[in-house]
Amino acid sequence: MFLKTPCLMLALVLIDATSVTADEPAAARPEVSRLTTENLARWIDERFATAWQEAKIDPPALIDDATFLKRTSLDLTGSIPSVSQARDFLDYAGEHRRGTLVDRLLNDPRRPEKYAERTAAHWATVWRRMMVPGNSQEARMAVGLEPWLKEQFNANVPYDELARKLVTATNDGQAMMPVNARPRVQGGGPALFFQAIGGKPESAASSVSRVFLGVRIGCAECHNHPFADWKQSDFWGMAAFFSGIKNGAINDAVTATIRPENSTVEYAAAFLGGEPARIGKGRTPRETLADWMVAPENSLFAATAVNRVWQHLLGRGMTDSVDDLDKASPAERKILDDLAKLFVDAKFDLRWLIAGICKSQLYQRECIVLDDTDAEPPPGLRPIKTLSPEQVFNSLEQALSLPVARADGSARFNGLRDQLISRMNEAASNNPDEFRAGIPQALLLMNGRLTTEATDLDQSRTLRGVLDAPFLDTEAKLTTLYLATLSRPPRAEEKKFLLEHIRKQADGDKQKQAYAEIFWGLLNSPEFVLEK
Amino acid sequence: MSRTDFTRRDFIKLSLASAFGVSYSGWLPRLAQAAEAAGVKHKAVILLWMTGGPTQTDTFDLKVGHPNGGPSKAIETAVSGIQISENLPGVAAQMKDLAIIRSLTTAEGDHDRATRLMLTGHRPGQEGINYPSLGSLFAKELGDATNDLPPYVSVSSFRFGDAGGPGFLGPNYAPLVVSGDSRDPEARANLSIENLKAPPGVSKESMEKRFEISKFLQDDFANRAKGPSTKAHKANFDRAMRMIATNAKGAFKLDEETAALRDKYGRSQFGQGCLLARRLVERGAAFVEVTLDGWDTHGDNFNAVKGLCATLDPAWSTLMTDLRERGLLESTLIVWMGEFGRTPKINNNAGRDHFPAAWSTVLGGGGVKGGQVIGDTGKAGTEVTNRPVKIADLYATMCASIGVNPDTENISPEGRPIPLADRSGKIIEEITAVPEKRKKA
Repeated sequence: MFLKTPCLMLALVLIDATSVTADEPAAARPEVSRLTTENLARWIDERFATAWQEAKIDPPALIDDATFLKRTSLDLTGSIPSVSQARDFLDYAGEHRRGTLVDRLLNDPRRPEKYAERTAAHWATVWRRMMVPGNSQEARMAVGLEPWLKEQFNANVPYDELARKLVTATNDGQAMMPVNARPRVQGGGPALFFQAIGGKPESAASSVSRVFLGVRIGCAECHNHPFADWKQSDFWGMAAFFSGIKNGAINDAVTATIRPENSTVEYAAAFLGGEPARIGKGRTPRETLADWMVAPENSLFAATAVNRVWQHLLGRGMTDSVDDLDKASPAERKILDDLAKLFVDAKFDLRWLIAGICKSQLYQRECIVLDDTDAEPPPGLRPIKTLSPEQVFNSLEQALSLPVARADGSARFNGLRDQLISRMNEAASNNPDEFRAGIPQALLLMNGRLTTEATDLDQSRTLRGVLDAPFLDTEAKLTTLYLATLSRPPRAEEKKFLLEHIRKQADGDKQKQAYAEIFWGLLNSPEFVLEK
Repeated sequence: MSRTDFTRRDFIKLSLASAFGVSYSGWLPRLAQAAEAAGVKHKAVILLWMTGGPTQTDTFDLKVGHPNGGPSKAIETAVSGIQISENLPGVAAQMKDLAIIRSLTTAEGDHDRATRLMLTGHRPGQEGINYPSLGSLFAKELGDATNDLPPYVSVSSFRFGDAGGPGFLGPNYAPLVVSGDSRDPEARANLSIENLKAPPGVSKESMEKRFEISKFLQDDFANRAKGPSTKAHKANFDRAMRMIATNAKGAFKLDEETAALRDKYGRSQFGQGCLLARRLVERGAAFVEVTLDGWDTHGDNFNAVKGLCATLDPAWSTLMTDLRERGLLESTLIVWMGEFGRTPKINNNAGRDHFPAAWSTVLGGGGVKGGQVIGDTGKAGTEVTNRPVKIADLYATMCASIGVNPDTENISPEGRPIPLADRSGKIIEEITAVPEKRKKA
């Protein structure tokens, strides 16, 4: 029933407008006005229209409302929409419905949907995965960062501030959490980042450069970078900022110098590129690093952030190697830097960036068709995306109408969520455009307990809701199953095939089973785990 | 992320390889037929993983006559001059095909870290690289991507910590985990794959209908959304379905074996797991791990070890005989190891504690020159006195003995080439021939 009242939309437009005027100008720089999110969308579309024209690319068609709803729900809140949300959105014909939906998913804190909170939680997961990728024990420890990250996203803390908090975090000298500790139990502050990447100056240098600056200097630990211009001195100059980090105790050193093990050379803190760092009075080495890192002049910082948001929303970064901007082509780098500059002008406002991208036509286009070859897709066009393990669970929870409260035996608390996510994690890629799941993951979705209960006529909340509704005829029942899983009504061919499947059953019981079979098929279909 | 993953391309190859497709109607019988045990000889590795850290002093490196030796008695083996524990008479009879390394020396004494060291060849947490496990490495080198069975199967795996995964190699090389049902009345040996069976209450007919609907939805989606991810999803779904349809090529039908043979392996989960390992290797698995837990004998070591050996000895020795009789021993490397050894000095609880400085591991079958002992730990067993063997040496030797070049590299997502065995590793030449290439390097 949302999105039906025009005054609500008006209010949202106003929220956007007020937030623009309410911005305080930064003390040190001249005030720059920022684009509205609609204008940002237009800017993106114009830039890519030119690029496509030059490359003689005919962009794919715009998507329909159902695809838009599923796409934005997954990208922003980390889950497919509910049946009623889908019905409401698809029934509504207001002209600005797409933009309004985006604003609402990002900003609306009201119950019962609590979109803003869910979006903050999803982006906390996205950011945690990006900061500590993979499925090692250390990476799993980083899950403990999510509550803190969620708070930051929920308050829309500017990205430069967020990064500064992470880079300068301390844990008051506490020893490292054992790697097999269950971080789920104890959410950690931002210092957990350094612990989860290994709690050493070397790992801090390498991860901070990769995460925030899109620079891979890890191999310069032992030798100069084979392809890019990074020297061993760049690596150890960065590591020196973190020389206070020892055995997982995250602190600042008095002197920002470091001597590699088995070496006689001592390196002093220096910024990437070689400029020696002067640690100001009363400043810690890491504060000094953060000052340099988030400064608007440091184009790597904003460009890396923009590229990561772009990757999550569109499946690939503007330049594909989100961790290594050295690999970007000059053309890729140009558009990335230009967008990064707008992001800086918008005071590193992540919601602004996300809204602007989602409102663009570019975001609202069909996926491109890729052949078997490893041909690079043209810039700005999206490949099919694979859902993250958390998105799969959230979507299952939504589709199966699972209880969420602990007292109701929610899968969030009884171990089923953890089991599913940890199994899916074994086969999760860091690249959203890559599907990697293996046999155990497929078997889990086919025969695991969640699916089994969901397709059991006595236990399944969704199936019972559909089958017991006296006001739904066969076709409406089928449509409801589609809305619950794929967030769209069935297409004509699907209807024909599946209705026949239901109607040809011998008796009522078999017919009921047929709905369960269809529901199973939908949950195991590629469209459920892939985002078009 | 850098683009070094090859799994997607593998998946595409896979979908082409199975281009004959899978018929969804009447899929059960047809697939079962297609999946008859192929019987083609290929190279494989079986890892007997001794969870907890097995005592060398009471198994393969006895110190009879020294206080550290305790009550353990030695017996002669099939090779004169080599003695092992009296608790392992069956293994002693196989000595001609086994090489004991008594001088392994490592530096991790914590279960978790040591397990990761032994199962990846690298100390954990180094340079943030998520190293692939031994099983995944060999699965990649020796496995056949078109086989219905995944190349790496882990039977009743219990290890300390979380090791044994594919690391950066990705899910194609992740272990298929087989667990035993502890409620099984028949000596806890009811080994099966998680979620392989259709849920109770779902008939075969209903399963077939589900797959028919799936097939329709998949084809429909593929028409509307072409791309590598769609293909990868389908290839994987088909593989999982074939696993269900063929019941994993029938590998788990242990009752096809004679009761006498099953008895010889021992009706323990480990014993039946070893039998399953043979059946999996016959059906094309590249790496099978079977674990035996209980070696963390801080107290009452001698009784505990006696009990463990009563399980280990018949299973391991029958596995050797069985493989030999089927002509599979020379193409199958068998590795016996745990995460570390145990202190030669006996503690106040008649137990032994963690000891990585000087301990034993055993290699057999494959290209291993059996009937010999490598290294020495002196009279007291407290240190390596001759021929120290490091983890990289062991990895290089395992690779070479099954005919894989230890210098073969995998590229980590960080873009680093990681050789199967660290370059510092030297092949133990007494155990297996050093390839020409390696000699030059």
